[in-house]
Amino acid sequence: MSSVPSGYHGKILEVDLSSGRIDTVSLDPDLAADYLGGRGLGARIFYDRINPSCEPLGPENVLVVATSPLIGTNAPTAGRGHMVFKSPLTGSIGTSNCGGTWAAVFKSTGFDVLVLRGKASAPVMIDIKPDKVEVLPAGHLWGLDVHQTTEALSSANEPGLRPRILCIGPAGENKVRFAAVFNDKDRPYGRGGGGAVFGSKNLKAIRVSGQKKIQVQDKEKYQAGLDQAYYLLKQAPATKRLLRELGTSGLVELINLINMLPHRNFQDTWHREEDVEKVSGETLAKKLLERAAGCYLCPIGCQRHTRVGDKKGEGPEYETMVMIGPDCDIYDLEAITRANYACNELGVDTISFGGTLACAMELYESGILTSKDAEGIDFRFGNSLILEEVVRRVAYRQGIGDKLAEGSYRFASGFSRPEYSMTVKKQEIPAYEPRASFTQALGYMTCPSGACHLKGGYAVSLAFFGGAKEIPRFSLLQSPIGIRNMHNLGIIQDSLGVCRFTGFAFSTEPWARMVSGVTGLDFSTARLEETANRIAALERLFNLEAGLTSADDLLPERFSREPIVVAGEGKIISREDQEKMRRDYYLARGWDEEGKPTPSLLKSLRIKKRNP
Amino acid sequence: MSGLWRARFLHGELKNMKIKVRFLAYFRDLFGEREKEVRLPEGAHLRQLLEVLCDSPERRAQVFVEEKKLNPHAVIMKNGRPVQSSGGLDALLADGDVIAVFPYLGGG
Repeated sequence: MSSVPSGYHGKILEVDLSSGRIDTVSLDPDLAADYLGGRGLGARIFYDRINPSCEPLGPENVLVVATSPLIGTNAPTAGRGHMVFKSPLTGSIGTSNCGGTWAAVFKSTGFDVLVLRGKASAPVMIDIKPDKVEVLPAGHLWGLDVHQTTEALSSANEPGLRPRILCIGPAGENKVRFAAVFNDKDRPYGRGGGGAVFGSKNLKAIRVSGQKKIQVQDKEKYQAGLDQAYYLLKQAPATKRLLRELGTSGLVELINLINMLPHRNFQDTWHREEDVEKVSGETLAKKLLERAAGCYLCPIGCQRHTRVGDKKGEGPEYETMVMIGPDCDIYDLEAITRANYACNELGVDTISFGGTLACAMELYESGILTSKDAEGIDFRFGNSLILEEVVRRVAYRQGIGDKLAEGSYRFASGFSRPEYSMTVKKQEIPAYEPRASFTQALGYMTCPSGACHLKGGYAVSLAFFGGAKEIPRFSLLQSPIGIRNMHNLGIIQDSLGVCRFTGFAFSTEPWARMVSGVTGLDFSTARLEETANRIAALERLFNLEAGLTSADDLLPERFSREPIVVAGEGKIISREDQEKMRRDYYLARGWDEEGKPTPSLLKSLRIKKRNP
Repeated sequence: MSGLWRARFLHGELKNMKIKVRFLAYFRDLFGEREKEVRLPEGAHLRQLLEVLCDSPERRAQVFVEEKKLNPHAVIMKNGRPVQSSGGLDALLADGDVIAVFPYLGGG
């Protein structure tokens, strides 16, 4: 193609923080057509610039934030940005998706993609306005938390425009391996340690303001997809009302009912019902919820704006609720919510924090982490009194917090007991027990960025709540193809900059209409599927070049050795079953048995490898 | 309900089964309680249980579509397993079964 399709500005903003050099580079139209936007386009631009063996916290790491052609239209939920980097937690591709409003405003500055590299010699921030980009000193912001930083930068940098802030807290500055990057104060690019990459580059914040618009090529086609999407969102109870009424924690009781709610660092899934009720979405709505809200252009509205005593904040979401709660044997709603506030303010991913704390608690109760090592903190399971203090020590890397800030895998390995870490690729497993669903297990195993419920395929919906899409949760045969399909749906949503929760109402058809209408290109659902296959293969290529192998696509030993009870039966997921499903997943993707995309596949998907 | 089955029940040939039904999320408001015990003659299927429960147009509309099919937005579990993959409305019930009724929902 000779020119960039409609829906894109056609510009990449590249900032080298070592030299302070700022460049505007044209977006290759063929890359836009082949990799769409968000996760896909971000991965390609990242792949073309990164040395895969680089140190993730060194200046060589490259961090990309990409938008999509739908961002800037009025498509529902189309305001999500996607961040790609080499993860300091996993060593794999770090790929993190986020709502809020920052990405939509970034795109309105006239750029599609932001590329960061190098390391500033002192703390800086980047200020992006439609016609001016500056790297500014940020020594006065260093040390402020996420909320303080956001407030300090929220006065207008351009008359008449309200700026949006993307920033890190102290955890990112201190390179906590699971530090997140936040926008709108409480919306994180949560997983994989993007915040630590910001901190390693001495980058505190990025402020954006703009109002540039994009063009829609075929308005009728776009409108047809838009009408279809809104109709379907109003039909499905999840998107019509449930997520607004109960938030994602509305899942807590359901997941407990199917024996999938983790307990005590994934030792079992047994909870007293009256305890589970204390941390349910219903109880949260009754006791702490002030209002529900949505991200940019979101009609679903799952955000929880809550209050505990005189303190206000956001959350907890399902994952936070369960990982800091029941997985640590804690059912104290107010304590979990306060810990969530602390994680948001100091800039920590709540899932990895909860998983790391649960690991420390098990090591403590097993006598491996001694009272002396624990520096007087009582790490017994169920002790909700320590939550905020542990968040603080992690964020500031104080004492034992310095070791916990490395994540559970490195923490447990420090005691020569890595088997106590419930991780895949060293990233903490989120709040769905894998032994209770083989599809979920395989999703965690094969997710390119380590265990993740979203990029790992969102299998819980597939296995239980999928209606016509449902597959049995213990099917070795159907799980690999089911997970490949769910991975692909997720890749398409992430590459279009739209929310996973639209998937409760519809799959890709309305998106295909809308993105075809915007770009004027023919994006059939089959072409979207092919695009997803291309992006999955590229993410895999990076991981292989970074030194990961199929051995990294397995669950911790606990899940193949210690049974849990599901619907009255003992369940494990044996190593043999894991290996079988893993191989079938690779083959279903057109990769070889070791998980390497074959040369013929790369050719048919038009994937160019980097020059050696 | 088939006429023969009903006749056998009325003549005392069939025993009563106790089925526990649990409601989650908005089904709780719809049915006005968290849990309910229903007595049905042995040989009853899920369909018969739901017919007994759905005694108003509002309740029927949330559970059934086109009168006789399960609403795809309702998930029904028998003893921890979704019935959609094991007989659906024709799943046979047994004394002591626990049925859960909840919406198609996910979260993150």
